[in-house]
Amino acid sequence: MNGANFVVQALKEQNVSQVFGYPGGAIMPLYDALFDGGVNHLLCRHEQGAAMAAIGYARSTGKVGVCIATSGPGATNLITGLADALLDSVPIVAITGQVPTYLIGTDAFQEIDVLGLSLACTKHSFMVSSAEELGPIIEQAFEIASSGRPGPVLIDIPKDIQIGPSVTHHLAKLVKTEKSIDHKAIEQAKSMLQVAQKPLLYIGGGVGMAGAVKELRDLIKYSKIPSVCTLKAIGCVPHDSPFFMGMVGMHGSKASNLAIQECDLLIAVGARFDDRVTGKLDEFAENAKVIHLDIDTAEIDKLRQVTLSITDDLKKVLPAINTKLSITSWQKHIAKMKIDYANRYDHPGDPIFAPALLRQLAELMPANTVICSDVGQHQMWVAQHMFVDFPENHISSSGLGTMGFGVPAAVGAQVARPDNMVIAVSGDGSFMMNVQELGTIKRKQLPIKILLIDNQRLGMVRQWQKLFFNGRYSETVLTDNPDFVTLASAFDIPGESIKSKSQIDQALQRFLNSDGAYLLHVSISEEENVWPLVPPGAPNDKMMESVE
Amino acid sequence: MKSLLIIEAQKSPEFLERLLRVCRHRGFTVDSINAETANIKQSTHVTLTVCSDRDISLLTKQIEKIVGVTQVATLQQEQNIKATA
Repeated sequence: MNGANFVVQALKEQNVSQVFGYPGGAIMPLYDALFDGGVNHLLCRHEQGAAMAAIGYARSTGKVGVCIATSGPGATNLITGLADALLDSVPIVAITGQVPTYLIGTDAFQEIDVLGLSLACTKHSFMVSSAEELGPIIEQAFEIASSGRPGPVLIDIPKDIQIGPSVTHHLAKLVKTEKSIDHKAIEQAKSMLQVAQKPLLYIGGGVGMAGAVKELRDLIKYSKIPSVCTLKAIGCVPHDSPFFMGMVGMHGSKASNLAIQECDLLIAVGARFDDRVTGKLDEFAENAKVIHLDIDTAEIDKLRQVTLSITDDLKKVLPAINTKLSITSWQKHIAKMKIDYANRYDHPGDPIFAPALLRQLAELMPANTVICSDVGQHQMWVAQHMFVDFPENHISSSGLGTMGFGVPAAVGAQVARPDNMVIAVSGDGSFMMNVQELGTIKRKQLPIKILLIDNQRLGMVRQWQKLFFNGRYSETVLTDNPDFVTLASAFDIPGESIKSKSQIDQALQRFLNSDGAYLLHVSISEEENVWPLVPPGAPNDKMMESVE
Repeated sequence: MKSLLIIEAQKSPEFLERLLRVCRHRGFTVDSINAETANIKQSTHVTLTVCSDRDISLLTKQIEKIVGVTQVATLQQEQNIKATA
């Protein structure tokens, strides 16, 4: 068995059945081993697509996603995907080929110091320098990627080690030391909850990553504590939960942002006080004491000094702090704000109003549909107006905000969950960034539904140019877009284009009932903006709600 | 604010790169550094003086997260460093 065969065997021992990648010179031995090695490989049409497909796979299943690329440009093309996975804490193992050990440092063909490149965009990275290291490193990589706060891990394997003989490695029996819960802190948290008049849960992506959705829902159901969530935590709380107000922050709901400013106790659960959430940090929940629950010690007091922190597994902590609350007047106030500031879908004229279209789609789509959104205005409209059953059904590039994320992420999600519908919601700017992945959809005959919202602009940048740069629309006009339906048809993906409200009902039926992939291209006005918006540097209660 | 850190880590070729990158990225300037590798223990011992307006715990918590780091101690803060300089 050579090193490459050993890698495939090691992947199987880690229960990896699916990988995403793109072959090339320095990774050819591994691709030879994959040819009949018993691990499914999906050829993406760009290494960035492979990384993002691995992210979609990981986020839709909770498993570690694996992507593979060659040295040099193959490795550099992975970098944006690794950065995306780092900022959204996604468990990924990326394997790159490297030039042979005796050529490292000689500026050989397709040689780049990928270990050096990876330092800023991975949780950890390894360079394999001998056959003996291969087994232990692969084992460690999967453990590091999936434990604690998950993240991407890179393994760089020189070609001579892939070709050379392997060394037997037996998986170590992991002895996990169970940390005992901090009972004193738990009691203090319960006491703070019980005396608070206006407690509020601020729910982050850590809940889903910890597999603690049930525990969170039990807590909310029992205590009836009001809650808001981050972009990454959409789906943790059922959208119709009585005191849940939706997303908080720059494009959060008005009720969420006002509740944050009014609360007297904020319980941050697997959340990290991101600037898109807090607005002006000094005035974020400025009257509140803060309890911070997180697995990552480094997040405690990083941006907001807290009254109490518990660094532990949310699956243990959330049930432990569950307690009855007497907050009737606060609950009534929250319920009233939800009604007073509910989303409105009245919109004049025949042009399509994207928020209403997305709401209608959410109501029509089957249970357990996975939504993969791209980045921009449509991403925020999805977050505001669609709803999903669980966080693994809403896959969005939250921390890095990577345009081009939606379609390849949908590829990974559809491969992982062939029995569920997967919808990619994209914009005309984002769609073109990884448009080559239509080739992957065609190759694998994936039944992905693509909703392309087209305003012939880089809409979010245009919105900011209008609001904050005196309407100077520098390089955001995309009136020279291709004909997207024709483009899709070149990949054997059928589709249609609509532009008026009267076309929506029938088009959505065709979209949802199509057997295979489908592109629904929706033209909207470039004047549409995402509201509300907390302007940069402003506190969250100073929202803009229209241009006027 | 200056701080003196003592760091122990498992020996690896890129450990110092990781450490210095974290310092810079998190807003800390390295004023001095001394690193020694003990081959018998397969460990690296680093003495580091850093300077920043930010609280030193923001850096030490990030250093503790580097895979292979076994110990981080903040030995001295600004006044002591000046007194012994």
